[in-house]
Amino acid sequence: MIRLEAEAVSFSRSGRGELLSRISLSLGAGKSIAILGANGAGKTSLLSVLAGRLKPSGGKIWIEGAELSALSPREIARKLAFLPQIERLPFNYPVLDFVLLGRAPHIPALSLPGKNDYQAARKALAEVGIADLEDRGAATLSGGEFQLVRIARCLAQEAEILLLDEPTSLLDPAHAALVAEQLSSLAKHGKAILFTTHDIGLVHSVADWAVLLHQGSVLASGPTEHPFDLATLKKAFGAEFTLQSLPSAYSQKS
Amino acid sequence: MKSQGAGKGIRFSLLIGGALAAGFCLYLLVGRYPRAGLLNPFSLGQDEIAVRVLLSLRLPRALGAVLLGAVLGGSGAVFQTIFGNPLVDAGFLGVSQGAAFGAALALLAGASSFYAVAGLSFIFALAALWISLSLSKAFTFGGQVLRLLLAGLAVSAFFSALLGAVKYAADPLSQLPDIVFWTMGSLAPMSWQRLRFVLPPSLVSLIVLLLLRWRATLLSLDDSVSFSLGLRPETERALLAVAAAVGVATVTAVCGVVSWVGLVVPQVLRLRSGADGRSAIPLSMAGGALFVLVSDGIARVLFAGELPLGIVTSILGALSFALLLTRRKMELLR
Repeated sequence: MIRLEAEAVSFSRSGRGELLSRISLSLGAGKSIAILGANGAGKTSLLSVLAGRLKPSGGKIWIEGAELSALSPREIARKLAFLPQIERLPFNYPVLDFVLLGRAPHIPALSLPGKNDYQAARKALAEVGIADLEDRGAATLSGGEFQLVRIARCLAQEAEILLLDEPTSLLDPAHAALVAEQLSSLAKHGKAILFTTHDIGLVHSVADWAVLLHQGSVLASGPTEHPFDLATLKKAFGAEFTLQSLPSAYSQKS
Repeated sequence: MKSQGAGKGIRFSLLIGGALAAGFCLYLLVGRYPRAGLLNPFSLGQDEIAVRVLLSLRLPRALGAVLLGAVLGGSGAVFQTIFGNPLVDAGFLGVSQGAAFGAALALLAGASSFYAVAGLSFIFALAALWISLSLSKAFTFGGQVLRLLLAGLAVSAFFSALLGAVKYAADPLSQLPDIVFWTMGSLAPMSWQRLRFVLPPSLVSLIVLLLLRWRATLLSLDDSVSFSLGLRPETERALLAVAAAVGVATVTAVCGVVSWVGLVVPQVLRLRSGADGRSAIPLSMAGGALFVLVSDGIARVLFAGELPLGIVTSILGALSFALLLTRRKMELLR
């Protein structure tokens, strides 16, 4: 089942020209796509457009069959959870309260979270293996723990599509491996995942398909079993690459 | 099942609620009739004047103190939450300065009616709010939070300068003392009639803030995050800011500028209640009411002549703030 589909999506910003040019992709249930590219290639812009935060200047996007532009932010949030690359933590919220915020799309504006919402938040914490952190202040966590808490907040949304902007950036290898494991597990359980990354290990251990962006356009795409050729990589990143076999990167994908 | 902290939170809420009820009763009994100190509640049956003092003077003033404190404390907590900044206060967006200028202008023009002074003060408070919001939209850089902060700063400075000009032009013998007294805040003018004037808009503001207290927590996150959680961050933040500012404009129009309540009360209570608006906002309302009751009690009885309330809240607020910074780690994460 197709969860997320983009057709010839473009995005322009005044003064900066076209940041995305006619990008098409299709993401099915239980599948994951990695978006790769040099800094400034348009990865974050693409995720923001797909999440509905930025309006595309051309093309169309469908979420679970409904056109994105026709959906309200609440309707989008019930279908799609978005994890920005970095996030400011304004106050030292307890972890459980922070994850509970993910229930907002399911709670009317004038209401407060109820028993079911607490259950969903606790379930999300358990799914990423950090149920024991629920009473800790989010500001006291390590970067890796906080990243898992943020992923738990996305899971509490109970959306079928996850868009993650560089989920392992700033993490040490152990925490990056933990995040990779969780993402693989979520895909196995039917979530549709699209993420941007510079982490080749994450691509190989989680993604089924990789898309290489260059100056806002798709330069190449294909299954992750077959790496991009060296000339394509050189064009995308402006550097010479050599092909070597990786040590087993994170966990094995199914 | 709530988290472990929930039990502590309920106990703390009961403590604040109990302290507020006790403070309210004590406030009614404290004063200068029949002599400085406490009025014996058992003497009320025999003392008709004491009953009249209690019902006509102290009760509306006590209710006014509760309303003023609840509005300033609650709106301070809301502003701090929706802007993700613990150093923002209730007079943010130029509302207090606009109100002060409006009142000063009315006094300069020779207005003797309370309604003329309060009305013009209210109009200019809302004008300051409107200018801040419009100016923030006209800025072509930064996110909404930064634009509002800068617009509020500019509008506050502008109305402060206008207030300075009015003071400069005022008659130093007949008008200036009134203007200065008004800008220092006081509950002395509070009466049943004035309470009726201030009650409806303040209550509407308080109810809106209470109903949207969890949305305020969601708005404390980055806009990209709150949007991904189904909010329209710019619209909802503006709605909450207007609701809070209308309450502040109303109480300031009647009581003058009362500083520090909206800044320091949410700061202190957040240390115990946590930052989540579900607890921080109602507790800041109760804590603000208690703070103003205590401050006004001191203002009434400390000296034979009454002190302006704003002086007492500023002294207590500044001392609490300094103590907070030296004794406890403040939640300033950016």
